[in-house]
Amino acid sequence: MKFTWLGFLSCCAVFGLVCSCPVVAQVAAASAAGQTAPAWVAQVKVSRGIVRIERGGQRFPSPVGARLKVEDTVITEANGSVGLMFADNSTLSMGPGGEVFLHTFSYDPTTYMGAFDAFVKQGTVSLQAGNLAQGAPDSVKIRTPQAEVKGNARQFLVSVEEKK
Amino acid sequence: MAIPTRRPSLFLAAALALALLSACSGPREYFSVIPDRDGKTGQMVVTPRQGNALALDRTNASATVRGGEISPAKLSEAELKEMYKEALAAQPMAPARFLLYFVEGGDILTAESQRELENVLAEIKKRPAPDLIVVGHTDRVGSVADNDRLALRRAEKVRSQLVAQGFSPEGISASGRGEREPLVATADEVAEARNRRVEILVR
Repeated sequence: MKFTWLGFLSCCAVFGLVCSCPVVAQVAAASAAGQTAPAWVAQVKVSRGIVRIERGGQRFPSPVGARLKVEDTVITEANGSVGLMFADNSTLSMGPGGEVFLHTFSYDPTTYMGAFDAFVKQGTVSLQAGNLAQGAPDSVKIRTPQAEVKGNARQFLVSVEEKK
Repeated sequence: MAIPTRRPSLFLAAALALALLSACSGPREYFSVIPDRDGKTGQMVVTPRQGNALALDRTNASATVRGGEISPAKLSEAELKEMYKEALAAQPMAPARFLLYFVEGGDILTAESQRELENVLAEIKKRPAPDLIVVGHTDRVGSVADNDRLALRRAEKVRSQLVAQGFSPEGISASGRGEREPLVATADEVAEARNRRVEILVR
């Protein structure tokens, strides 16, 4: 029994490797083929009141047209709201007093494969699904301090009360 | 014998009270599914830190999490609209979609589509911070790999035409979907003019 289990486990590991390799290769091939994808992942389309982007410990203002990268944090003040559009046409918009960290965003426009992972620390957020959710529903993930959300919902709302 | 039986129940009561206390204190989180512009909802699964996941798949289906525990919530459309007023008002405009068609086998636009580019430029002017996504497609004549290349070449061609019109190159991304997403389903190796296209999203 022991031997079979080990065999089974190593089979799983090999299978996992085989499965993950083509994805990496595909992404690499897409960029090698001279695909002209910009380095940024989202753009600010709507910005009202005070909105900031925190990047590498520094805070920047976030006017309409500003571009966002992975690992940026978007912060809205008490009078602020913001609407972002991502490369896969998904949108994320936030009401006042919000903070969202863009943990992961990868997107292959040829295959629609990739991953979206954002952490909503506080505030009200509306998310409209884009091409990623079409490629693989579990590729879109929203995390909050107390829960995790996944799925192919076309539009969802998340609200996290401020920690007092 | 009465005391030892009572003690565990006391402990149980205390533990229950603690659990209730932790579930009723601390910040609350809400999760809701609403339909998109086409009325579709889809499903979202909310997994709390403790306990089982809850699937939300009907219009306005909601859940709340507090103290790491989840429970279904009843929120009306009016309540959701009020709660998310500012976030919903800040949603970006939906992308405007244009289709341009090509002469078979290459990256030359049909005459009609060449004129359609004017409408694309007009839409760009309507938006405060426009960015463009150009996606090339092919029909099913030729191999998948060749069509991936042709699709990208078509997208790149339209991109360079828009850049020539003065649009900032870093605001346009071009990519190809090859023969993966035909507008009109055909058998392999069938020439179909409606599938030889680029889709331009003005966002």
